[in-house]
Amino acid sequence: MKFGKYLKDRLYSVIIYIFVIIAVILLMTAFKSQIELKITVGIIITLLWISEIFIDFFRKKRYFDEFVNNTQNLEQKYLVMETLSEPSFYEGKIIYDVISDIDKSMVENVKKYCHATQDFKEYVEMWIHEIKLPIASMTLILHNYKEKYPDVTERMTHHVNRVNNYLEQILYYVRSENAQKDYIISDCRLSKLIAAVAVKNKDDILENNIDFQVENADADVCTDSKWLEFILNQIISNSIKYRDEKKTDGSVIKIYVIKNDKSTVLNIYDNGIGIPAADLPRVFDKSFTGENGHAYSKATGMGMYIVKNLCEKLGHKITIESVKGEYTLVSIEFFKNDFYKETLVLRNIM
Amino acid sequence: MKKILIVEDDKDISIELKALLENSGYEASILTDFKNASDEILRNEPDLVLLDINIPYMNGEMLLRDLRQKTDVPVIMVTSRDSEADEVLSMSYGADDYITKPYNPTILLLRINALLKRAAASSANNSTFYRGMEILPQKGVIKYNDGRDEMLLTKNEMTIFMCLLAKKDRIVSRDELMTELWNNEEYLNDNALTVNISRLRARFKDIGIEDVIETRKGQGYILV
Repeated sequence: MKFGKYLKDRLYSVIIYIFVIIAVILLMTAFKSQIELKITVGIIITLLWISEIFIDFFRKKRYFDEFVNNTQNLEQKYLVMETLSEPSFYEGKIIYDVISDIDKSMVENVKKYCHATQDFKEYVEMWIHEIKLPIASMTLILHNYKEKYPDVTERMTHHVNRVNNYLEQILYYVRSENAQKDYIISDCRLSKLIAAVAVKNKDDILENNIDFQVENADADVCTDSKWLEFILNQIISNSIKYRDEKKTDGSVIKIYVIKNDKSTVLNIYDNGIGIPAADLPRVFDKSFTGENGHAYSKATGMGMYIVKNLCEKLGHKITIESVKGEYTLVSIEFFKNDFYKETLVLRNIM
Repeated sequence: MKKILIVEDDKDISIELKALLENSGYEASILTDFKNASDEILRNEPDLVLLDINIPYMNGEMLLRDLRQKTDVPVIMVTSRDSEADEVLSMSYGADDYITKPYNPTILLLRINALLKRAAASSANNSTFYRGMEILPQKGVIKYNDGRDEMLLTKNEMTIFMCLLAKKDRIVSRDELMTELWNNEEYLNDNALTVNISRLRARFKDIGIEDVIETRKGQGYILV
């Protein structure tokens, strides 16, 4: 609170003061008072006025300065009311009460939306689990009739798999957007996870004559196996989807692991159509589809966004490099175990 | 014939599951009375139980805990809940394996087969016999001439052979073989599978055993 601005705000008080002084002096002149008396009365009035101004100024300054400072220093500014006590002056009290009321109603409103989001999340998760039952039935039916109707079942299986992939995407989207932890970090063998994802995509890989190679994958990393499986599946489906059929030596997906002192890096390389340099910095953005996404019209732009989100939650570093028409390389860096041992307390689920 | 009991409250799934298991040479039955589930399971004397988590009256985890106090029959938990926490929880109650819906049927069969084999291995010794040969899959070795001679197989050849042997006298599709190989981290393509099968045939021919693997056109292979 600045004194100059405060005084300007109390301009009426200055005017009243000047008016009172003039009136008193005129009055005293009319009564023929002595000059000493005039000066004494003038000084008393001036002192009274100055002390009133200063007492009021400092009382307000102390309170409002604390208000402003606390607000500026807080990261969550809406919590500022919790740091202040009720002021001793009347206007302050009014403001304090009103802001407290506003705060309360805001908190209630936010809570309402939190609950609504939470309910929605729970409903979506439940719904996904429900819809997986008919999908499981369909998968079994298709498998049981494979010999009788090979053509139809093969095509249907392809589409059922697609439905399933989209379901996984929304399930992990819901999970990644919510703050609570539904993951468990443990030692996972990368080769096992790669095999699980490879089997899932086996038909597409074989059908499109993609050469699928895995090297040095016998490494253990600290992660949630289910989440990482989803992440890998997204990356590998992209590699399959954006393969380059014009490549003369055929399409390749190569997965290899590099270990160094402080981390283990899982690399997924493909010789597909690549990503234009201009699009590259934005591939992890929400709803970003880019040139490739438009050209292939199947992209929702959510896959890589969710992948990035999950990686951040798990404490893995994901990077992507690519040259258009040449290759794409996605790398996931897992930091060594002690990082988790020190910072993450595993959820006790028993 | 191995007996598998399906504990699942979704009728359509249990019917299709039964068909799947029966097509693969198992005897399958469906549990109908969920009220006394654990007694019913014991009465059925199955070799393996496929247990869903969401069943009426009590959940699958409670049933499993109950069951484990009475028997150590192999149990595969089947569920649409797929978080790591659910899996760890089920395993801690004594499930032998855990698979999430919707599952790849071939993978489910592989898991069942593996679990039954493991259960059998703990009661008998670990080697398998075929036409007087002793097969040691872990070592990649086949012993013949009453154990006097040995033949080494590559990992791929052994995986294919064991897959065919497990389903002896039944046709095994190329897709099944491929899934088994990929599941074992051997990422072969179609040509490589053909090459491996003809090589496997040649290996048996070398030691004087002919016509081991027959091709059934459009269907797959069969071990005779």
